Amino acid sequence: MVGLQHPFQCLRYVNRQPAGLSDILVATAGRNLFSLDVTSGQRLDVWPEPVNETSAGETSGATPASEGQGPPEKRRKLSSPAGDEKDAEQDAKPESEAKSKDSKKDSKKEESNSWTNIPLVAVAQSKYVIIMTAEDKCVRVLSLAEDGKLQQLSARTMPKKLSALTLTPDESTILVGDKFGDVYAFPLIPSENYVRSQPQAKAYEPAATNLTVHTKRNLESLEQQMKQAALAKANPEERVALNFEHQLIIGHVSLLTNLISVSRPADSTVGARNYILTADRDEHIRVSRGVPQAHVIEQFCFGHTSFVSSLCVPSWEPKVLVSGGGDDHLLVWDWLENKILQKVQLPESETDLTVSGIWDVSFSPAAGDAASVRTIFVSLEGSAQLLCFSLENGTLALKQTLELCGNVLDLAAIDSKGSIVVSVDTLRQPNSTTVWKSISQPPLETFRVSAGKWAPIEDSSVLKINDEGTSSVPEALEQKKQVELNDAVYGLSKLRKRDGSDD
Amino acid sequence: MTTPQNVPAKRLKREEYRRELQAQQESTDSVIKMPQKKFFRQRAHANPFSDHRLEYPLSPAHMDWSSHYPAFVDPDPTKTTLSGARKLTKDVEVVDIGCGFGGLMVGLAPLLPDTLMVGMEIRTSVLEYLSSRIHALRSQQQRLKAQAEPTEQQPEEELHDDDVGTTKIYPGNFENITAIRSNTMKFLPNFFGHHQLSKIFICFPDPHFKARKHKARIVSESLNTEYAYVLRPGGLLYTITDVEEYHQWVLRHFLHQPEEQLEDGTIPASSKDLFERVSDEELEADPCVRVMKYETEESKKVTRNNGKKFVAVFRRKADPEWPA
Repeated sequence: MVGLQHPFQCLRYVNRQPAGLSDILVATAGRNLFSLDVTSGQRLDVWPEPVNETSAGETSGATPASEGQGPPEKRRKLSSPAGDEKDAEQDAKPESEAKSKDSKKDSKKEESNSWTNIPLVAVAQSKYVIIMTAEDKCVRVLSLAEDGKLQQLSARTMPKKLSALTLTPDESTILVGDKFGDVYAFPLIPSENYVRSQPQAKAYEPAATNLTVHTKRNLESLEQQMKQAALAKANPEERVALNFEHQLIIGHVSLLTNLISVSRPADSTVGARNYILTADRDEHIRVSRGVPQAHVIEQFCFGHTSFVSSLCVPSWEPKVLVSGGGDDHLLVWDWLENKILQKVQLPESETDLTVSGIWDVSFSPAAGDAASVRTIFVSLEGSAQLLCFSLENGTLALKQTLELCGNVLDLAAIDSKGSIVVSVDTLRQPNSTTVWKSISQPPLETFRVSAGKWAPIEDSSVLKINDEGTSSVPEALEQKKQVELNDAVYGLSKLRKRDGSDD
Repeated sequence: MTTPQNVPAKRLKREEYRRELQAQQESTDSVIKMPQKKFFRQRAHANPFSDHRLEYPLSPAHMDWSSHYPAFVDPDPTKTTLSGARKLTKDVEVVDIGCGFGGLMVGLAPLLPDTLMVGMEIRTSVLEYLSSRIHALRSQQQRLKAQAEPTEQQPEEELHDDDVGTTKIYPGNFENITAIRSNTMKFLPNFFGHHQLSKIFICFPDPHFKARKHKARIVSESLNTEYAYVLRPGGLLYTITDVEEYHQWVLRHFLHQPEEQLEDGTIPASSKDLFERVSDEELEADPCVRVMKYETEESKKVTRNNGKKFVAVFRRKADPEWPA
């Protein structure tokens, strides 16, 4: 491994054993999405295909639809009869048209610059990977083939940058939340018969009239608006974002920070019910019904005094929610009753703490050691520690603290091995979000329970992944680029409120 | 920015006036005079997305209403909220979102003397005026009550806003209204619990004319889910505006539109399922509508300018059944 390498920003484990296939680890690093064989550690595919200077011309020649479009799409056979392909083409078109418009304005925008990182990943039905590419605000669905190859099926551009991405419990509908507080639902696979609504040809007309505005200045600006309206009629503009089947289902007037969908099992009085839990920068956790009744708010969980960033409903106690964010404690809830079961103090720190991730990991006895494993892991932003809690009957207890070689970024449980892989920051010094290393360290670490404790283990497949590395960071990066890369990974603590203005 | 040496005379006057008012309110021996609006005027817009310096309770169960409605504090001092404040004998039931100078609150107070009502406003100066006004109204009513036996008061006719409540005793003595600074777009659920409210008023909201600003409008399909959360089934949400386009917007965001219908004839579920429009006949008989149309500051201004007023009232329906 040479030079600096991007860390794995997101990790997802894809259990394909029921289908008789080998397990896969899906990971993002820099602008790439990787599919990795869990058993052998072999890299199965990289998306987008690395642009290789000699073949670049050939690529764009083969797929004229993607010319000028941000992502260099995977090359595909033009004669491919797959129905999915059609979707991809249909969806790619309006976007590419839009991009070509953009590129007229900004010819500097090059293919490889359309995004620099992939902060959100989800896996559906063990055969689709859904990602959000950061800068172009695009939700892309890729197929994960039996051999681990990735191929883009659709690309849907959102109006605002997303902060959360998940699926409904049946894994057929994508749910996304954006930085303006809106939550949208749309089908994983766009339906064939959706008729794209034509942008309304209705001309813009000022809503104000001389009956509603009276002052001299307002009347003047109304006159200006009238003129603008006349101009606009001459050259109508189209809006591209959201030009696909979708529904706006929830809206916060705040930055949405997290979104999870939860199935509450049936009990003596009611049947199984689906819910959507959303969290925002204004300390709220909202409990809404699941799709299609997400407009019915059932509850708010009040108790945080700073932004909420992480939500976790453990698989083994679905009536319990563990939440964290800018507070120096976690809260454990009976989330349907807005009842705080426990307030769990986080370890003392000189700086403000920010919870960056909460994961529930459980292995049945068959897969792991003799006893079953149930652990809640908690990571803090810019910290190389991983906190391990037990959760029983709504009570969290800190069991141990793992020290890693770099800041914890993401975690995935490998069911087949009864172990966890943790992605750590390869670029920055442990416990710092800004000071860079001179040489990257391996991006993954592995742990497994032995004698009741989580302990590091050597896993040959993970060693192989580490050896092969991720995608390289250009050497001698300018300061500004470094800061951008830092912000892409460590953005949460910026959500903390400062004294606002009073206007 | 003006330097201290260069403070405009208008602002100096304002500050002096408010200091005097403050002093007067704190002294107990004199009857408080009504505040004058001209010292409290403020730009008509506020950015609902910025943080401001807002105070809001951690949850409805933490809210201290006792200082707002001293006449309704529960006599049992052992009954306290989660924040340790005294509880009230009843819950707040009516909210005026964006109450401005409070014309609606003052108009409604004697109509519903036993109902607790709160006006919420994001602009500080305007709120300060309304708080002073309510304080003064209560004090004036106390004075009138203390005076010799009710000598048949002449009904107040065509009084200036600033003189309402100074010559006649009103039912409820304005003890049932108050005003709070808040950004309801963010924090409404911090103040009111599930199904707590029976009426919400949205009167002459900031029209946010530009399409780019429509997200800041106080009525939208997604905000309506929050109004539905705090409003009890059967509760009413009143809207009035002088901007016809805004009125159409309100109707569009509360009621299903023909173009929503899918090819198979179904209409996608949304917050519009939670509301139905109240008929004109019913509104005729509702005294709240009259107050909303003629007694708020903004409605008087619209009347003066011969503007139009568009009223739409919606009833909260029961939540739909859970899907089987």
